[in-house]
Amino acid sequence: MPLVIFVDDSETALASTRMVTNSMPIEVKQYTEAQVALAEIKAGMTPDLIVTDLNMPVMNGFEFLEALRQVPSTQRTPCLMLTTETKAELKQQGKALGLTGWIVKPFNPAQLKQAITRVLRLPA
Amino acid sequence: MVILNSIEQLLTHIQDVQKDVIGLSTDSLLKISTFMEKNELEVDEEVAAALQYQDIISQQLNATIEAIDSIKLNINRFSHLYKSDEDLAVESMNKLHDKLNATLNEAKDKKDRFSGKFADNSEELDEIEFF
Repeated sequence: MPLVIFVDDSETALASTRMVTNSMPIEVKQYTEAQVALAEIKAGMTPDLIVTDLNMPVMNGFEFLEALRQVPSTQRTPCLMLTTETKAELKQQGKALGLTGWIVKPFNPAQLKQAITRVLRLPA
Repeated sequence: MVILNSIEQLLTHIQDVQKDVIGLSTDSLLKISTFMEKNELEVDEEVAAALQYQDIISQQLNATIEAIDSIKLNINRFSHLYKSDEDLAVESMNKLHDKLNATLNEAKDKKDRFSGKFADNSEELDEIEFF
């Protein structure tokens, strides 16, 4: 099964995504700190999709994305931003960093499932 | 300066209440989500949105906690300066006024930024944007 990692400093946000994705044919790992997820990736974890929040302490979503692009195994891994931020300039910044898509919270469960299905090319 | 001390204490109390609200609402939501997962309950669109309100509430409160920290810092600087040289008080008061206004504007900007789909332009945010 494809591995999808979710990174969000909010445990409640992670619980929401977990409830939506638990019926999908994917393996899910969740992290409240981007730097911990990054360390595991550097240690050999190879996610097929990364879904991250933007505003997080220590390492924010953009810093995480930049760091991921420095790791050979995740240089081209699709990444979705799941955030409350809606500003166009932030979306442009994400796009320039190679972000695959932008999802605004609160997310619609069906749309989140569709986005994951589409990016991972899972059977609909 | 007594009035500033009182304001600082009031702000600290507001921050404490906000932190308690964040903690309690997090505990509450995690208990609900644990129950739902344990009983394999499906989440529809409305329930999913309701579950995510807590995250937005926490972000909003955290932004105001940060703003209050900034206000307290500026009040403390002003109080210190005032004690050391009363002639500088008027000039310091103007600087304090400017800094408090800047903090307020930043807090208002964060309120809008962290509102997600509850922001004014929410109608444009229904679809996931792919790049």
